[in-house]
Amino acid sequence: MGLTRTLSIRALTLITVLILVVFFIVIILGATGTSDKILQAMVNEEVMMLRQSLAKTIKDPQELEKVIEIRKQGLMEFYGLTKPWYVRLPDMAWRVLTLDLGKARTLKTFAGGNKVSDIVMERLTNTIILVTSATVISAIVGLVLGVRIATRVGGILDRISSYLSAISYAIPTWWIGIILILVFAFLLRLFPFGGLYSTPPPSDFYMKLLDILWHAALPVATLVIASVGVWIYTTRTIVLNTAQEDFVNAARAKGLPEELVRRRYIMRVAAPPILTNVILGLATSISGAILTETVFNWPGLGRLFYDAVLVMDEVVVIALTYIFTLVYVVARFLLEVLYVILDPRVRY
Amino acid sequence: MSERFKEALQEFWRLNVSKIGVAFLTILVILSIYVIATYPLDFGVRYWNNPVYWADYPKSAPPSWINYFSHEKIPEHHVFSSDKPSNTSVTESGKRLMYLFKLDFQADRTPTFLSLSIKNVTYYGKPAMIRLNVTRPDGKNIELYRYTVPAPYGDESPPYRRFYDQPKRISLTGDMSVASTLARFLLREYNVTVKPSEVNSIGQHTVIFSVPKNNTQFNVLKGGYVFYIIVDTYDPRDTIGEVKLVVGGDVYGFMGTDSLGRDLSVGLLFGFPIALFIGVVTSTITTLLGAGLGIVGGYVGGKLDEVIQRTADFVNNIPLLPLLIFLAFILGQNIWIIVFLLIVFGWPTLTIIVRSMVLQLKSGQFIEAAIAIGAPRWWIMFRHIFPQVAPFVFAQLIFFTPTFILLEAALSFLGLGDPTMPTWGQILEYGFRSGGIYVGLWWWIIPPGLLIIWTAITFVLIALGMEPVVNPRLRRMK
Repeated sequence: MGLTRTLSIRALTLITVLILVVFFIVIILGATGTSDKILQAMVNEEVMMLRQSLAKTIKDPQELEKVIEIRKQGLMEFYGLTKPWYVRLPDMAWRVLTLDLGKARTLKTFAGGNKVSDIVMERLTNTIILVTSATVISAIVGLVLGVRIATRVGGILDRISSYLSAISYAIPTWWIGIILILVFAFLLRLFPFGGLYSTPPPSDFYMKLLDILWHAALPVATLVIASVGVWIYTTRTIVLNTAQEDFVNAARAKGLPEELVRRRYIMRVAAPPILTNVILGLATSISGAILTETVFNWPGLGRLFYDAVLVMDEVVVIALTYIFTLVYVVARFLLEVLYVILDPRVRY
Repeated sequence: MSERFKEALQEFWRLNVSKIGVAFLTILVILSIYVIATYPLDFGVRYWNNPVYWADYPKSAPPSWINYFSHEKIPEHHVFSSDKPSNTSVTESGKRLMYLFKLDFQADRTPTFLSLSIKNVTYYGKPAMIRLNVTRPDGKNIELYRYTVPAPYGDESPPYRRFYDQPKRISLTGDMSVASTLARFLLREYNVTVKPSEVNSIGQHTVIFSVPKNNTQFNVLKGGYVFYIIVDTYDPRDTIGEVKLVVGGDVYGFMGTDSLGRDLSVGLLFGFPIALFIGVVTSTITTLLGAGLGIVGGYVGGKLDEVIQRTADFVNNIPLLPLLIFLAFILGQNIWIIVFLLIVFGWPTLTIIVRSMVLQLKSGQFIEAAIAIGAPRWWIMFRHIFPQVAPFVFAQLIFFTPTFILLEAALSFLGLGDPTMPTWGQILEYGFRSGGIYVGLWWWIIPPGLLIIWTAITFVLIALGMEPVVNPRLRRMK
């Protein structure tokens, strides 16, 4: 099995997952009558616009009503509202897949538009920035500390890290965020309470960048604190197990320098299983991002999710559920590509 | 079997984490039992989310023990209530009920307000008359208030019932008749002339709890106060449901209050059984379902196994929280729906592991022997395979519990908790949404989080203690 073949099978599996999730969403929407409500809102919107434009040309109110009624029937037909929900399942699924969900009820883009796809897409970058930087920092700290601890097993640092990783399993990420706000924003006044940048944002480019970094400090710290313990502990355990293998001893016996043994013999083998853990933890970091963004009012997808639930904006909730699955699937695929590169065995 | 179990128990008990975990769990269970025994089932609707019930409580008040750490002692909020008079005496016209409330007042500021409430009054003849008197630490006595229960309406026949729907609440602070009484009291006792309207703006509660220096300055009078509520009734059948006296303060109770005045200790206590219930019930059903499917899939194999494996793969490959939010949002915020959803999305991990364990066990000789003597498939799965994987499954049950507690808390924090059942997550959610964190109401934000962590850690510790039992390779380490 070649590299392309392996990867395309993974891609296909993940796409199937995505499509199944979309169908699952749509079935729930159909069965609860929510999809009727959404389509009806789209029809009403168009009828209203039609009325405005027709009112200029057709002066007789009775005739106007008649024309509009006919057009409304046509629209109902077009959107499939005359058919039961299970008949228009594929159509509705396509709508979700292409984010063609009409207009949000109350939520708006930063510029003031209310098209669902625009609202969702403009926030995607902010989420990716937050999650990626937090993951990269956790990974670096976790790998460096984990490898170091693995060489001194049973030491104080080792014991602290194993307790910390057990405790971090029991601490809600969002509560860490709240505590950081309480301490660093409220008590010490060192960092802002939330948001992406100050109002008004600094005009100078570098100043603006600094401003964003200042605002990102606490949310990123929250995500790092929540995940770094697990990173350290996993790295330590896997590196430790690998270091006890015979081939490592053989390499040492040959008299290879310790640095070389560590890099080529231990890390090369330990990297794929560490990555597996990252892949498994991906769903957790997405959840962490939703809650952390909420706490810090970070204008990403997670905060949007909270706002949409708060104001009961159904279409946005649907779009976000789909987008989060999409982001998850894409991120997972990228990690698996990395996995295949790191571990040649999977290719065959 | 029992020998093996005993051995496992000993192995488990050797570790300190196990002991701490079990001790924590005992406390959690005791508190939960206490709550179930003493709280009404509709606590959430009838009390917690009912603003009327909390009207007499101070808003956003810190816990009273902060007085131990601060220089100036802040007045504590006191709610005195009684449904039985302290003593009853017979007078020539009827029965006199007396309610006695004692307050040891040691704060450096006077209380913030004073109010009196009466509930469920029934009388047959003449309406009851209620008086409120106070004796101060300096021995001075003031009759603060007199009130006669409304007389019968034209077509009403006895018994006359008053204040059954809504208690009668009299705010002494702001009451002009109390102000006049106090103005006369100041003139008589201290020879200080203050107009009733001035008493009203100084605050009736301030005058009651202080000694005047001149007609604008009042010094707090510390010591024991006794409030007497005297009810004169004129028929032996007359009854009073409850009297309540509130001495307003800025600190309250052991845990403080939230911005609606709700006593946080009451709400936090209610969270114990809910958290345990969600964690343990969800985890138990999830692990049983997951293990069951794993055993059946692994042992029976074929198409059934394929279906179970594909489904598990699918569920395992979706990001949990977004879909949970979606479903809780569309299907409604109900504790049973939340538990159901957690189960639906929780089983696959265990199914995949248990299946691989069963595949190994399947070829064991004891299974072959069982098949040879003609044991049915379900019997083999139940009596021969399940006991083999049971210790592992049980350890997973404990290990999964905190995950579900945290997930429920997360959903609650996002505003998708069951509104009829206050949980720690919901208390935090309200604290966050109403801006409690931005003004530093730490007593509202920190305790619910700590309780969530404490409950979760309890199970983590027990799971850590079980690890060497389930995974004998680790025994050498200790």
